[in-house]
Amino acid sequence: MNISKIANLKFFYVNTKNISFFLSIFTLVLFLVGVYWGLYIAPIDYLQGNSYRIMYVHVPAAWLSLQTYIFMAVTGFIALVWKVKIMEIASIQSAPVGAFFTIIALVTGMIWGKPTWGTYWVWDARLTSELILLFLYIGVIVLYASFSDKRQAVKVTSLLAIIGLINIPIIHYSVEWWNTLHQGPTVTKFDKPSAHISMLTPLLYMFFVFNLYFCTVIIKRIRLGIFLREKNTKWMKEYLDD
Amino acid sequence: MLKTIIHKELSIYFRNLNSIFLPLIFFFLIISIFPLVLGPEKTLFDKIIPGIIWITAILTTLLTSNNFFKDDFNNGIIETYLTSDASIELLFFLKIVSCWIFTCLPIIIFIPLVSVLFDIPYENSIVLLITLIIGTPILISVGIFGSALTLGLSKNNILIPVIIVPFYIPVLIFSASAIESVAIGLSYEMQIYVLLAFLFLILPIMPYLLKYTLRLSINN
Repeated sequence: MNISKIANLKFFYVNTKNISFFLSIFTLVLFLVGVYWGLYIAPIDYLQGNSYRIMYVHVPAAWLSLQTYIFMAVTGFIALVWKVKIMEIASIQSAPVGAFFTIIALVTGMIWGKPTWGTYWVWDARLTSELILLFLYIGVIVLYASFSDKRQAVKVTSLLAIIGLINIPIIHYSVEWWNTLHQGPTVTKFDKPSAHISMLTPLLYMFFVFNLYFCTVIIKRIRLGIFLREKNTKWMKEYLDD
Repeated sequence: MLKTIIHKELSIYFRNLNSIFLPLIFFFLIISIFPLVLGPEKTLFDKIIPGIIWITAILTTLLTSNNFFKDDFNNGIIETYLTSDASIELLFFLKIVSCWIFTCLPIIIFIPLVSVLFDIPYENSIVLLITLIIGTPILISVGIFGSALTLGLSKNNILIPVIIVPFYIPVLIFSASAIESVAIGLSYEMQIYVLLAFLFLILPIMPYLLKYTLRLSINN
């Protein structure tokens, strides 16, 4: 066993306890500000009325769902190539977070779709590729869950995540191409009016808050992963006893 | 060496004729279930039969590539190869090809019969044949990749489809669209070229990927 690597996990675990606590408070406050900004201060949309305000959750969640996949694949790559333990943990622990963002994006999209498109779901290119993204996340999660040796599992899921990252653009563009061939219902072709700056700023702000939320959750989950992996080691027992 | 490997792989399949006929019978069984479920109207089937054939081909390849490495793994052959100097990439390539010959080629040979059963026009059935010839090696190799990923597991039956079916989607989209294009009289070359691109991208990479995956999934 390499001592420096264990020290690395220990260093992270011991030092992030307070950071993760303050970060969650900070994120919550900023999130509440963002919700107030998006729901009350941002102007009403002349086309969609108030229903567009769900965008302030929907769009950042959709962005983060893809971003988390990239995070998962990149950390998985580092874990495979340089055998960094904490990256193994970061890679697999980000999978449920990404699946969660994907589900939020899908559900809020469905809620938004009802008043604007008149239906909860259409087999539109973007919706379909987001759904496939959810299946890719689920694949990683179930593959991890079915291994009893979790170190082994992380190697395999990292590889799957990397292959998946290469595949996401291919899937995305084929789905987009597929949809342009199958002429979709015209309601889905509504052009998003280029957003006014007073609507765009809260959106970018919410994107920032979602990123912060991702950081908070991923730190907490990495701590959980470290705990689960190192719970029988000496330093963890000593640390918990203190 | 090379000759021995090919001979061995092919004779394994030949001696167990079930491995040729069962996928074929399964294919016909599933195809013939669809009219029972959907009703025998011809206009409906004219539209959806290529999709049905493709979905059935996917099910067949999923089932046949499921336990692709299981026997070799249990024999210890895989580990022997991984630790030896022999060119295991070539072996994997030949294994993929022989798997395709014995599970997909019979189906492809019987596609004209299916075309007769469902009254598919001549030109559509040619395009269906071309997409199957190009597409099924991709499906087989991706399926084999899935079975390599899960080789360390004792029970993986439903797991592999859940993991790898999303990766089938581009192949499916372009195959279905080629068939649909020819059915409405548009050109279908572009879709065929894209499928060929997928094939020639995947086939050379896959043996190396399989070697790497197997090293990861069985190294303890």
